[in-house]
Amino acid sequence: MTQEYWRWPESRWTSEDIDWKKSKTVTAGVDIGSNSTQSAIMCDNLLFGYANLRTGPDYRESAGAAMRQALGKSAMTLKDIRYTVGTGWGSRNVSFTQKTVDEINCHARGARFMHGPAVKIIVDLGAQTCKAIRLYDWDRIRDFVMNDKCAAGMGRSIEVMADLLQVPIQEMGERSLAVDKDPEPVSTTCYAFANTEAIGLFREGYKESEVLAAYLFAIAWRIHGTIGRVQPEKELAFTGGLAKNTGIVKRLEREMKMTALTSEYDPQLAGAIGAALIARDIVEKA
Amino acid sequence: MITAGIDVGIESLKAVILKDGKVLARGIGLSGGAHRAKIVEQVWSEALAAARLKPADIGKVIATGQGKNDVRFADDRVVEPVADAWAARFLYPKATCVVDIGADQARVVTLGKDGITEVVMNQKCAAGLGILLKSIARTLGMTLEEMSGLSGNPAGGVTVNDGCAVFAEMDALGLLNRNVPRQDVARAVMEAVAVRINSILNDKIMPAKDTTVLVGGLSRNIAVVNALQRRSEIGFMIPEHAEYAGALGAALMAAS
Repeated sequence: MTQEYWRWPESRWTSEDIDWKKSKTVTAGVDIGSNSTQSAIMCDNLLFGYANLRTGPDYRESAGAAMRQALGKSAMTLKDIRYTVGTGWGSRNVSFTQKTVDEINCHARGARFMHGPAVKIIVDLGAQTCKAIRLYDWDRIRDFVMNDKCAAGMGRSIEVMADLLQVPIQEMGERSLAVDKDPEPVSTTCYAFANTEAIGLFREGYKESEVLAAYLFAIAWRIHGTIGRVQPEKELAFTGGLAKNTGIVKRLEREMKMTALTSEYDPQLAGAIGAALIARDIVEKA
Repeated sequence: MITAGIDVGIESLKAVILKDGKVLARGIGLSGGAHRAKIVEQVWSEALAAARLKPADIGKVIATGQGKNDVRFADDRVVEPVADAWAARFLYPKATCVVDIGADQARVVTLGKDGITEVVMNQKCAAGLGILLKSIARTLGMTLEEMSGLSGNPAGGVTVNDGCAVFAEMDALGLLNRNVPRQDVARAVMEAVAVRINSILNDKIMPAKDTTVLVGGLSRNIAVVNALQRRSEIGFMIPEHAEYAGALGAALMAAS
C-alpha cells in the first residue's frame, strides 16, 4: 500500500575516466522543469556528469541538488565550471547560472548531440507541455509548435494515472503493448477527462492492458496532432520524460509512419546537455 | 440481521459491517485499477476479521460506488446518491441535504419527506478535485494531512484557476516559480477547490444552512471545509467517519 507507483527513478552519474583538468572548457547546463530537474556537465565535447531528479517545491534547491549530484565525488567544484546556462520552466530561479536560454534551443542542441546532426524534427514530451521543433539543415530553428492550453499537464497526468491504476510508471508503456489491437482511445481533449474515462473502462470489463492502451493511445493521438503541425519527416527524436514511455512512442511511430531515433543517452537530459553545449559556444566565441 | 455495505470509489474502497444500527467494523483500501476486485476481497476479509465474523454470518451485502460491479459477492447494487441519502438520514434524522465530495466527483442530494427530491452532480470540468489535491501535495512535498491542517486564508494575490484542475495545477507551479511559499500555494489550491464545490452547491440547489450533511473523502480536509463553510455560509454537519458514508448507506439499505 505504501508503494509509490507514480515515482519515476531518479538517476545520476559522474565519469571516472575523464581528466577534466586537461580539457579546454568545462561548462554546465541546468534544466529546471516543472516536474523534473536535470543537470549536465560537459568537458569540451564529452559528458562528464549528470543528474536527473524530481523538482521539489523550492526550485533553487532542486537546481543546486542536481548540480551537486552531477559533480559527484569528483574533485570538480562549481568554481571549475567556466560557464553555466540555465533553461526550463524554473530557470529564472537559479543563482549560479550566467545566462538563461529558452528550452527550444536547448532541446534542439541536446538532441543533435545525442542523435547526430541528421536530426530535423525534435519533439519534447514534458510534464506540462509538448513542443515540436523543426530545424533547418544546420542548427537554426525553422518552426516550433506547442500544445494548446487544454492539453497541458500530459506528463503529470500520467503520474496520477500510475497511482490510480497501481501500475509502476516505468512499466505503463510496456504493459499497454500487451493488447492485440488498440481499443478506441479515451478523451483526447483534456487529461482530467482522460483519467476519469480510463478508470471508467474497468466498469465495462476492460483489462489493465486495454485501459492503458486506450489511455496512452489518446495521449499519442494528441501529440500526433502537435507534431503534424511542423511538417514531420520520416525520422524524429523524442526528448523529455515521456520519450521513455514505449506505449506512447511505439503508437506514434505506427500512426505517423515514422521512426523514433534512439541514443545511448537518457532522453530527459536533452535540455541540460543542450544548455551546457550552448554555454561552451558562448565561451568559445568570447 | 448483520449486513454490509461496500463502496468502491475511483481512489479508495470502503466497507462497513452493520448490526442493528451499530457499526461492527470498517475497512478501507486503495482501489487500485485492474486489481480492484482482488482488493475488494482483501478489504472485505479484513473487515470480517475485525468484526470476528465469517462471510456466512452476513445476511446481505450491497455494493455502491463507481466500481460496484467489482464486488462479485454482492447481493445487490445501488447508485451512489441513494447510499449517501440513507447514510445522511440515519446519522442526522433532520438532514435535508447531503453533499458528497470525493476524489473524482462532487454530488449534492436533497432529501424530502419520502426520499430523494433532487440530485446534482459536478459538471465534467470539475472532475478530479480530490485527485488534484493529492497530486499537488506531491509537488509541494507535503502530506494531505499537512495541507489539511493549514489554517488561515490564502495570501493576497495568490490564487489559482478555480475552473479546471489541470489549469489549477499549472497555476500552482507558476506560483512556486515565483517563489511563493508552498504553504500559500497549498492554501490557494484548497481555496480553488472550495470555490469549485461551492459553485456546484449554487448550481441548482441551495442547500439549507443548518441541515446539510457533508461526507466523502474531501470532507476530511479541514482547510477545504473551512473555506467552503466561509463561502457557502453553510454550517455543515460532518459525521465522524465521513468517508464511509456511502458504505454505511449501502449497509443500512441491506438491513431494511
